[in-house]
Amino acid sequence: MKKTLFSFIMLALILVVSACGSSSEDQASEDTQDESSESTEDTRVIEHEMGETEITGQPEKVVALEFSFVDNLASLGVSPVGIADDDDSERIIEPIREKIGDYTSVGTRKQPSLEVISSLQPDLIIADMKRHKDIYDQLSDIAPTIILPSLAADYEGIISSFETVSKAMGMEEKGEEVLADHKAKMEELRAQVPEDEERTVLPAVVADSGYFAHNMESYTGSLLESIGLKNAIQSGDERYNKINLEQVVEFNPDVMFHMVAGDQTVVDEWENNELYQDISAVENGEVHEVDRNMWSRFRGLISSEKILEDAINYLYEE
Amino acid sequence: MRLKKMHPVAIMTSLSILVLVGAFLSIGVGAVWIPPGAIFNYFAGVEAGGDGYIIENFRLPRIIMSLLVGTGLGISGAILQGIIRNPLASPDVIGITKGAGFAAAAVIILFPSLPVIGLPIAAFIGAGLVTIGLYIFAFKRGVQPATLALVGIALGAICQAGIQFLTVKFPLETNAALVWLTGSLWGKDWTDVWLLLPWIVIVVPVTLFLAPKLDVLSLGDDVAEGLGEPVRKARLLLLIIAVILAGASVAVVGTLGFVGLIAPHIARQLVGNKHIYLLPVSALTGTLLLMVADNLGRGLFPPTEVPAGIFTAVIGAPYFLFLLRKMQKS
Repeated sequence: MKKTLFSFIMLALILVVSACGSSSEDQASEDTQDESSESTEDTRVIEHEMGETEITGQPEKVVALEFSFVDNLASLGVSPVGIADDDDSERIIEPIREKIGDYTSVGTRKQPSLEVISSLQPDLIIADMKRHKDIYDQLSDIAPTIILPSLAADYEGIISSFETVSKAMGMEEKGEEVLADHKAKMEELRAQVPEDEERTVLPAVVADSGYFAHNMESYTGSLLESIGLKNAIQSGDERYNKINLEQVVEFNPDVMFHMVAGDQTVVDEWENNELYQDISAVENGEVHEVDRNMWSRFRGLISSEKILEDAINYLYEE
Repeated sequence: MRLKKMHPVAIMTSLSILVLVGAFLSIGVGAVWIPPGAIFNYFAGVEAGGDGYIIENFRLPRIIMSLLVGTGLGISGAILQGIIRNPLASPDVIGITKGAGFAAAAVIILFPSLPVIGLPIAAFIGAGLVTIGLYIFAFKRGVQPATLALVGIALGAICQAGIQFLTVKFPLETNAALVWLTGSLWGKDWTDVWLLLPWIVIVVPVTLFLAPKLDVLSLGDDVAEGLGEPVRKARLLLLIIAVILAGASVAVVGTLGFVGLIAPHIARQLVGNKHIYLLPVSALTGTLLLMVADNLGRGLFPPTEVPAGIFTAVIGAPYFLFLLRKMQKS
């Protein structure tokens, strides 16, 4: 009895092992064929966070796994075929949704569906360093993949990601034009902020689970700093911090931009607290609720312009 | 229960058939539905295009992963319940998975530039460190099963506190760590299969040889010693084996909960307490549980992937409550 059991188990294992062996070899041989057949067209090597990737021709079907890259592609006039939109197209801010038209959702940004991505047969995949590093190999096997910082990037990082994306798309010139326009727009916006602006600002995601402050090195923080709006938090080694009411009072921002997540937030409780009423921004009526998708999730060129327009609107045109 | 009257071998056979059927269904289920025709084509060697690519690169590795991880966690749980003589014992309870989780979270959050392979290694080391802790605090004092469980819970709580500290301190980096901490077969490929396979293939047959020892140990220390079993040595050996199985599984797929707890329980309902049957049946029930959880996660809200760990908890927790009620009554 025991013997048959063992032999059965061993047999099953042997079958499994041999099946795996043969299938992975098949895959390897297919890959080499693909590469040799395409080597005639113009090829460029893109350097990115996980190494170098060869891209041939102009990619037509692009999959974007972070909203930044959707923004980058939209700026270049390209509509991605697949987007990791957390299965909620509302998360794509309107000016961009209009530009890109229809696409296929490939699931959440956290765990995008590799199956759907492969079924779209893309010729370029753009993914985020923090979220998708672990699946780089699988993505590369589907299509040439570049990994760029988005989630952890500041405004400068977002700009350099855009430059890489336009190179990868084979649209370097167009990218330079777009960037020049963007920089001109940013200068224009900057000019609307008076030189003697001394108020400090604090952008924060407010949720039921806490108050997440974005400091001067965060994307939104660094963006506002770039036009002369000083962040209330100039210290700390973390870009995003969960802070409590006492800390907000301590930082005492003159203007607060709240990216509201959910119906019920910690700020609803704080409003009944005298301490909260003492914060300079609350006293001066400078607490503004802003769109979280635009202010924190998107991190791109178009959204950067929109954020600053928003901010300037709240600060100077009331 | 009527099932109990079936011969254990018949039960094993029917479970194996269920696993095969489950595996076949798993090939079809997902954000991209693959019709049976295409599946047959693929296995018959006919060019199956994009479907073939999906089967080969995403579906098959995940099915084999659920087999390996289900086996690893199921058997690990069965062994732990045997040596601790407590039906609540599992890799989660004695802190092994928490140790792996803490180490993994620390690596993900504090050393983001480490190569991908660093994660499973760190997780495995974390599980090992907790075991050393168990050894120092529980085994040096005569190794009572209750001590082992309590020390495990304490060590687990310390690791949990560590995880909590990291997630509060570094909310941004937490994103990636959370995926791992829930446990998921998402993004697993042949590399992961090869990483885990040797552990399972080498260790599982050994456990079957040790099954009689487990039977003796579960009679209680006095009886076991009376029967000439060196209790402490046997228990240490079995503990190490349970840690290797659970540690290796968790290292690759993350801290999947409940499989190591529930699978041996279901197995016990089916074939009773004899470990030579209980161990392989726990492996089969563990595999089935994980396969169902992964299929639900993949097929329920496409293209959104719900981590398998969430479904093992959703399936496991109510079953566990039902079990507690039943135990209370009897």
